Amino acid sequence: MKLKNMKDKYSPVLCFIIKLVLGITFIYASYHKIADPAGFARILYGYAIFPNFSINFLAITVPFLELVAGFSLIFGLFSRSALLIINALLMGFIFLIGFNLIRGHEFDCGCFVFSSHDKIVSNIFLLIRDILFLLSGIYLLRKIKAQ
Amino acid sequence: MIGKDLKGIFFLLFFSLIIAFSYNHFSACGLALSGQWEPSKGVVSARSKTDDVNAAIQINNPEIIQQIVQDKKRIVLDVRPRELYNQGHLPGALSFPLMEFDQKIIQILDSISRQSALLVYCSSVKCTDSHIVAQRLISLGYDNVKVFSGGFGQWQEKGYEIEKYEG
Repeated sequence: MKLKNMKDKYSPVLCFIIKLVLGITFIYASYHKIADPAGFARILYGYAIFPNFSINFLAITVPFLELVAGFSLIFGLFSRSALLIINALLMGFIFLIGFNLIRGHEFDCGCFVFSSHDKIVSNIFLLIRDILFLLSGIYLLRKIKAQ
Repeated sequence: MIGKDLKGIFFLLFFSLIIAFSYNHFSACGLALSGQWEPSKGVVSARSKTDDVNAAIQINNPEIIQQIVQDKKRIVLDVRPRELYNQGHLPGALSFPLMEFDQKIIQILDSISRQSALLVYCSSVKCTDSHIVAQRLISLGYDNVKVFSGGFGQWQEKGYEIEKYEG
């Protein structure tokens, strides 16, 4: 009973923190990509997964999808929809990083800043970070539904 | 609930697309709707408004490059960092790292006439350093500059002769 009360008490605070962290992360992640779309396009090419015709389209649109979803989540406009988009993007990032790590393909994730020499260790760290973000996103999605 | 979520997703997607393409259209660093991502067609590039890649000055066929190098038809400039040049470069190539352009160009201007035929290369089709140097040389009056798009990577892949720095 006591535990349930504690959960009810702290749940809104936790939800608020997750919203803020996910939202700010996505807004921040979009900034460098918007500032240098050609660099981001090269990063996408470097993943060696996307068909050539889709690279520019993704380089133009994905950063703004991150930006809009991030703001939308923070300001509570279509927050469930924004969260679904964020979770879908996170699943995509996890697949991309995981797939390339498994097949041993060297790449720069381009998550925040564009670096020329990313190490495997930092990509494993990014993979773990994205999985934690996704778990937080799923938790938040369940909570928003319950409210 | 699901219907509302879907509506929200469509709204956010639509809104993102509108601002993404509007920004791309007006931005100084906007991209073309399709890039050049085919390595056989030269240096890969997103074809942005500020793109350094000039397809017109590229030579994509390594056999032509081998002939040029063999016959010494052009002065060859290796624009990779000096450490990479020292490890191996095209026979007869001069080290001209992009990072040292301002210092190196003084020597070049003194020793190579503007009418000389130049060939510039970097690491592979993924690097644009060769095009950056080529554009700078062209702007300085060197109007016969070509870029070997495959760069040292392709040269090595082909098994052609490699010269090492015996410093």
